[in-house]
Amino acid sequence: MIQVEHLTRRYGSQIAVKDLSFTVPTGQICGLLGPNGAGKTTTMNVLTGYLSASEGRVIISGHDILEEPMEARRQLGYLPEQPPLYPEMTVEEYLRFVAELRRVPRAQRAEQVRKAMNRVAAADMAHRLIRNLSKGYRQRVGLAAALLGDPEVLILDEPTVGLDPAQMIEFRALIRQLGRKHTVILSSHILSEVSAVCDQVLILSHGQLMAQGTPDQLAEQLAGRTRLRVLVLGEAETAARVVRGLEGVQEVRAEEETGKTQLEITLTTGADQKQQAAVSLALAAAGCAVLQMETEALSLEEVFLQLTETDSPEPDETDFEEEGGQQP
Amino acid sequence: MIAIFKREWKSIFSGMLGYSLCAAYVLVGGLYFWVYNLLNLYPDFGYTLYSTTFAMLVFIPILTMRSLAEERRARTDQLLLTAPVGVPSIILGKYLAMAAVFTVPVAVLGLCPLVMRMYGTVSLAKAYGALFGYWLLGCAGIAIGLFLSGLTENTILAALSTFGVLLLSYLMPGIQTLFTVGSLLALGVFGLLAALAGLLAGIRSRSLTFGMLVFLALCMALGLLYGLQSAALTSAFSVLLGALGLFTPFESFIYGIFSIPAVLYYVSIAALFLFLAGQGLEKRRWN
Repeated sequence: MIQVEHLTRRYGSQIAVKDLSFTVPTGQICGLLGPNGAGKTTTMNVLTGYLSASEGRVIISGHDILEEPMEARRQLGYLPEQPPLYPEMTVEEYLRFVAELRRVPRAQRAEQVRKAMNRVAAADMAHRLIRNLSKGYRQRVGLAAALLGDPEVLILDEPTVGLDPAQMIEFRALIRQLGRKHTVILSSHILSEVSAVCDQVLILSHGQLMAQGTPDQLAEQLAGRTRLRVLVLGEAETAARVVRGLEGVQEVRAEEETGKTQLEITLTTGADQKQQAAVSLALAAAGCAVLQMETEALSLEEVFLQLTETDSPEPDETDFEEEGGQQP
Repeated sequence: MIAIFKREWKSIFSGMLGYSLCAAYVLVGGLYFWVYNLLNLYPDFGYTLYSTTFAMLVFIPILTMRSLAEERRARTDQLLLTAPVGVPSIILGKYLAMAAVFTVPVAVLGLCPLVMRMYGTVSLAKAYGALFGYWLLGCAGIAIGLFLSGLTENTILAALSTFGVLLLSYLMPGIQTLFTVGSLLALGVFGLLAALAGLLAGIRSRSLTFGMLVFLALCMALGLLYGLQSAALTSAFSVLLGALGLFTPFESFIYGIFSIPAVLYYVSIAALFLFLAGQGLEKRRWN
């Protein structure tokens, strides 16, 4: 179980994660979804105690990551974006080292290492140097290392990046399987991946939580959004102002061309006839005759893009792509 | 800590580096031993050791350059810092492994007095006392290298800065004699240090006034000291420079003195830099 309360992380004056709160109950897979630079890696680095939070608390299986770091870290397996491997070691040597580091009792080490290797199907690479492994196998060895010591919580940062499609499917199946016993948090910028694997999805953008729920809930709640395309006779400015004043309107884009204005209206709810009527009446009352109106349902993908891109509160945070580790 | 010690040791000896470093060190030591003690029949092993301290200037930077810098570059520090191991264990594990590597050539050189004894009278106590001082000197240097390696993720930069610091402290006795002139110069240098302390205090407390006040107070104290007892300032300056000369305390061991202050000096240098290295690692969590 992971509890995050009002987590804020700043790098100097820039805010990478802002007031993030969520709970992942035991045995659930939670996906952090967001474009590059949304604060996913920073969040994960704070969850694992690699970075400290500027404000707020992180509690792993009942242990505060800053106040009882040893107990909390014992319950934690972390696979960073770039697996932390020593190229000069063989796979088995490396896993034995990690097992010792993670305080696995001596008698169980060999057994746990073997199990972890089998789990990720890397047993035939046991005596290879990590230097010579492919990206896919490195990822597997990293995951095997995270599994050692049987932690309750697994934190996986973009676990499928750089894998080929077959490996990706295999890895997702593995994660789903792990989710039965462990609490898993994984990050991704691929919507389909998260909705296929996770029980709960958090959508992050510019360090803020934009939406939260099960994939189905999100699909229902978000894909309910509709876009209205309206062609009116009149000035863009007036038309846009009128529509913005209406209830249930999230965003308006207006383009004027030879006296006519094309409006793109995003509604927070489904566009029923009442809503359409309200728009056309309001426009007509302002002296803009409606020439054409059509509705268009937004896909989950589009909603995700909208949530994470157009709602940007501070547009200059793209340089958080490096997140955490590479900060000077 | 044991896991980190073992991994570090193995990593140093996983390629050519560890072996060639130790071999080169033994070669240099053996060469001086051959020329001084065997060819010229000089009975004092301490002088041989004293003449080979320059080899540390190369040995230590190369030994320590990867210790923390490489972890940071390869992001393996994420594994160490999120594992249930404290920062002191990480630093100590690495330090002890490198100190153990340095012990290998020193132990081999430890055979030399025995060889000499086979053919004449040698004071073993004096020889091994010197060897112990020599070992302490190296261990203190390794702590400095470890600390400097933690400041960067570039191993070359880590090696160069360690080399620079060690070279400076190696040349410190010479530098010290350059600065015996006048208390005015000492005042200038201490004034500069006061300005630095004021700047640091100002940055830490984020208050310009506080920094200024610190600087002012220090300047006033310095001015007072200069007016009343300018000789004290000169000698304080000389002591300050002397403390930076890492290789000087070792000399007492060569003369057959088992100098407790020298031992304490080396142990505290090592402790100080290990502490700083740990703080550096811990600090990275916070910014």
